[in-house]
Amino acid sequence: MLNLIKYEFRKTWMTKLIILAITAFAEIAFLITLYTNKEGLNALTILLLVMLAFGGVLLIGIQSISTMHQDMNTKQGYMLYMTPNSCYKILGSKVIENGLSLLVAGAFFFALGALDITLVFGHSGELNQLREMVNEFMKQLSLGVQLDGQMFAGFTLSFLCSWLGTVVAAYLADVISTCLLSGKKYNTWVSLLFFILLMWLTGYAQVSLTQNLPIRSVFLWHSLISLAFAAIMYVATAFLMDRHLSV
Amino acid sequence: MLKSEAVTKVFGSQTAVDQVSLTLEAGHIYAMLGPNGSGKTTWMKMAAGLSKPTSGRILFKGEPVGVKSRASIAYMSTEPYFYPWMTLKDVGLYYQDFFADFSMARYQELLKRCDLTEGLKTKALSSGMMAKAKIAVTLARDASVWMLDEPFNGIDLVARDRIKEAIIEAAAPDKVLVLSSHLVEEMEAIADKGIFLRKGQLVKEVDIETERVETGCSIADEYRQIYGAQGGTEVC
Amino acid sequence: MEFDTASPIWMQVATRIKTEMVTRKLPPGAKLPGGRELALQYTINPNTAARVYQELEKESLVEMRRGMGTYVTENPARIEALRTEMAQDAVRDYLRRTASLGLSLEEAKALISQEEDKNAEK
Repeated sequence: MLNLIKYEFRKTWMTKLIILAITAFAEIAFLITLYTNKEGLNALTILLLVMLAFGGVLLIGIQSISTMHQDMNTKQGYMLYMTPNSCYKILGSKVIENGLSLLVAGAFFFALGALDITLVFGHSGELNQLREMVNEFMKQLSLGVQLDGQMFAGFTLSFLCSWLGTVVAAYLADVISTCLLSGKKYNTWVSLLFFILLMWLTGYAQVSLTQNLPIRSVFLWHSLISLAFAAIMYVATAFLMDRHLSV
Repeated sequence: MLKSEAVTKVFGSQTAVDQVSLTLEAGHIYAMLGPNGSGKTTWMKMAAGLSKPTSGRILFKGEPVGVKSRASIAYMSTEPYFYPWMTLKDVGLYYQDFFADFSMARYQELLKRCDLTEGLKTKALSSGMMAKAKIAVTLARDASVWMLDEPFNGIDLVARDRIKEAIIEAAAPDKVLVLSSHLVEEMEAIADKGIFLRKGQLVKEVDIETERVETGCSIADEYRQIYGAQGGTEVC
Repeated sequence: MEFDTASPIWMQVATRIKTEMVTRKLPPGAKLPGGRELALQYTINPNTAARVYQELEKESLVEMRRGMGTYVTENPARIEALRTEMAQDAVRDYLRRTASLGLSLEEAKALISQEEDKNAEK
């Protein structure tokens, strides 16, 4: 299993390295513009970093989906399926590798974000005042929402989990398309529709199950529900592959 | 060693393999013959545990083939299948990571005999080099059964002899080798059993030397008789 | 070695080895390659190679010593007999062919002497 995970990482590490390199550039630009007081440009680098954080995490998932697709639909699939490993292990290693990658990327961008925000507030007293004003205002609305580290951590976790769930749902849709609907009319549309249905189901479960919960625990519940869905879809996907996949 | 019981594989409306029953005994090199689309590859893939029969079953040492048997049944596909980011060294390391029966020393020796070096990138290989590399890595396993799909395709004459030598070295009383090819002449001397497939069905299974004694037919002659125009003509 | 694929390969390899025995390229008592080496030497199936030695042993031309390998017979009379057998085969073959061309036995014999004279002139 460790070997499988190792090669899943080996197939995708280039993209991750590129994201890291671009982020490093953007961060340097951010620091320079911050300390040379070029506010306009600094705002631009912040925007770039935020986009990189989201885009990077999304890209890591998308690449995992595309690798999975290649492993089923091109001859390189022999490399994977001729090894004495069950589909549960093969798919499991993909989910674990991608989950870990998302977690590491998420933690990395979260830490970087925290650091940069601290730097910005430390550099400019005005922004700090602004934040306190917003929080004061929120308190008066008594929504129980505070813009603090815990809140962002909760959001990040929930975002990562739901994205992992989306990736696994895409695996499932792809396996259905490749194994069950291959050669049939409207194959792509049917599997896409199925994918959207899965996403809607997860969202529906998240909303209806966490309706009356305090906002702080909502993120945690959303994450757990996403992970539970991901687990169910993983089993379904591996089951279908085991039965019907032919490389 | 390997038993195929009424194995059938259907793809949509196409029957690729139709009720094939066969027993492959240890100690033989089988030539699996037939034109394109006769079901050779489909049968081999099922025997390798890479796809499941629609009906019937294939047994390896009495147990249905599957994940476990892949550790003992080595399959070489006719198409290139290495990951494009790999060098030939990476390919060896990959096999070492996944197959307990793989020998790195044997792999390196076979590469050398085929005039290949470990530093070559798989992306940069010519089709002939790729064909040789695939055989080298597959035969570097000490499997119980090897199934090589079109091992001589795209390989020049000199290298063909190197490959035949490697195949002969792999053959042993406790091993089975199955070679598919439409280059029938290449199989004459190294195979001792012939399996003829047509349109997914097993037409004939012969002991090649016995056939020569009894009918004076080479397998190429047999091939012409089975697949020639109008269902084949008597040629010997 | 190029084979005639319509006749048994073990027979063709055996004939080659027999010729080497008669011409003393393989002297009496010489060790022959193992089955696998023989298969590699001629690029033939290992079972076919094993068959070669089995057939040669049946004809008492080789001796298979358990765990030691295969040796050319040390009986010179057997090799001499083989020479005669092979020569007789060649003669029979010659006569069959000339007969199929419509030559009488006398004519066939005469052709041999003619050929001999030609060679002597050279």
